Amino acid sequence: MHFNNLVLDLQEIKKKYPENPLEFFKGKKLCLFKACLEKYFPGVRWGFQDLLEELQLDVSICKDQSCCSGTFFQRNLITRAQFSAINERNLSEMNRQADIVLVSCNGCYNSLLRGRDFLKNTEVRNKTQKILNSVKKKADGEKYPGMYDILENPKLKVVHDLDFLYLIRDDLVNALKFDLKGLKVAVHYGCHYLNLSRDKKNVEDFLESKTKLEELVELFGGVPVDYKERESCCGWGASQLLINPHEALKITYNKLKSAENVEADFILMPCPTCLYTLSKPEYREKIEEWFNEKLEIPTIHLNELIAILQGCEEDRCITLRRKTPRLEEIFEIITQQ
Amino acid sequence: MDDYTDSDWNWEFYEELVDDVDENKNIIQCISCGKCVGDCPAAKVSNFNSRKIIMKVLRGDKSVLKDSDIWYCYLCERCKRVCPKENINIPLLIINLRNESFRKGYGPKYSNLRKYVEMSERFLTQGTVVENPLGGTLPQERVDEIYEICNFARIKYVFKASKSDQSKKNKKKTK
Repeated sequence: MHFNNLVLDLQEIKKKYPENPLEFFKGKKLCLFKACLEKYFPGVRWGFQDLLEELQLDVSICKDQSCCSGTFFQRNLITRAQFSAINERNLSEMNRQADIVLVSCNGCYNSLLRGRDFLKNTEVRNKTQKILNSVKKKADGEKYPGMYDILENPKLKVVHDLDFLYLIRDDLVNALKFDLKGLKVAVHYGCHYLNLSRDKKNVEDFLESKTKLEELVELFGGVPVDYKERESCCGWGASQLLINPHEALKITYNKLKSAENVEADFILMPCPTCLYTLSKPEYREKIEEWFNEKLEIPTIHLNELIAILQGCEEDRCITLRRKTPRLEEIFEIITQQ
Repeated sequence: MDDYTDSDWNWEFYEELVDDVDENKNIIQCISCGKCVGDCPAAKVSNFNSRKIIMKVLRGDKSVLKDSDIWYCYLCERCKRVCPKENINIPLLIINLRNESFRKGYGPKYSNLRKYVEMSERFLTQGTVVENPLGGTLPQERVDEIYEICNFARIKYVFKASKSDQSKKNKKKTK
């Protein structure tokens, strides 16, 4: 069985549409992958959805898509075959309704690709199909052909939101109402974007330094600032924050402190799990208690920032984030006329 | 590093792990350069040392399964990026070692991790890890599929343990 790469080939799009890569997406069906943690940061989904609609792209959500289950695989609660079966069911449902799935979370992005990776192993693939057969039997047949089969050469392609936004950056900038007014921005890519090899064609792409976020910040009128812990983990570490909180929060503390040391106005990231870790008020309180330092640097997801720069109503893009330190201050600075 | 002699090499454990996860065979290429440790977030805050763990596996030292160190890995994949050898997948090896550790009864007790119990319960009953997810809940037939897929997985034992704890608590309350 041959497994084609699920990752959208950005180089190919750039070659075919050098002047306007957005054209490639026109007329295609796009689907937003629902990351569980978007619940706490609805601007991550809504901000992005608003942008795609403004760019006149056909965008939807797949109601049959479940959690990616990466967190359970990483904590040894499900096997590789079970993880791949859950992933195949999600891919199968999305493959029916869309051409491209866009992912706002590094964890979900990693899961979608990892589930397919595991299927390259014959034993895992056989076990996965056996599981899907058993589901099919219990479900009393299938609603559409191939519903419970491992997908062979699906048309569906996967792209991370950051890669998409960078690709269409010229159109993106034209769609924005505000700019960053010279704010200093520390960027955080997140481990499962920065260190991922699954989505790369060759080792050079894997090892090259990642600068897309910095380049976007400059385009938005901000100043990217380098800091010592730029490439370090947020501290979540596949639930280390729940299991070994003291050690994990030390990593979170180091990251936040390092960005404050270079006087960044906020930290920008493309992942809601990193955002959850770096912004949760309870974690900031624990940091103050354990490391005797109150850190107030605001943290923003790239999609939320796009929403703010687009002039999205405060209620829609950062409504649930009022407890995040100084976020409203940043909102006011960006949106002042 | 610990002192080992040639007679300490034992491939039995390594072969077991490779038999379980084929990709583990690549750890034989490890040159013990330590780059993975130098760039590791876990190594900065704990005794986690991927180089030592690989050496223990290659020497057949099964005490690694009892080491609390293996539970400190952040699975961030940084080691994969800095490793000068291709295809050594330390995070996958760690997940595999944790599985072995669980099988032998050395792993942490999930019933002590309230958050995980809650997340497992929500995943098996709603298909997500949060209550009332953005954009609505999953159709019941899809939730049923997930429950079926997870048959015999540890997640179900965690879920059942939480139900049993809850019923014990309820019984105590009614007494």
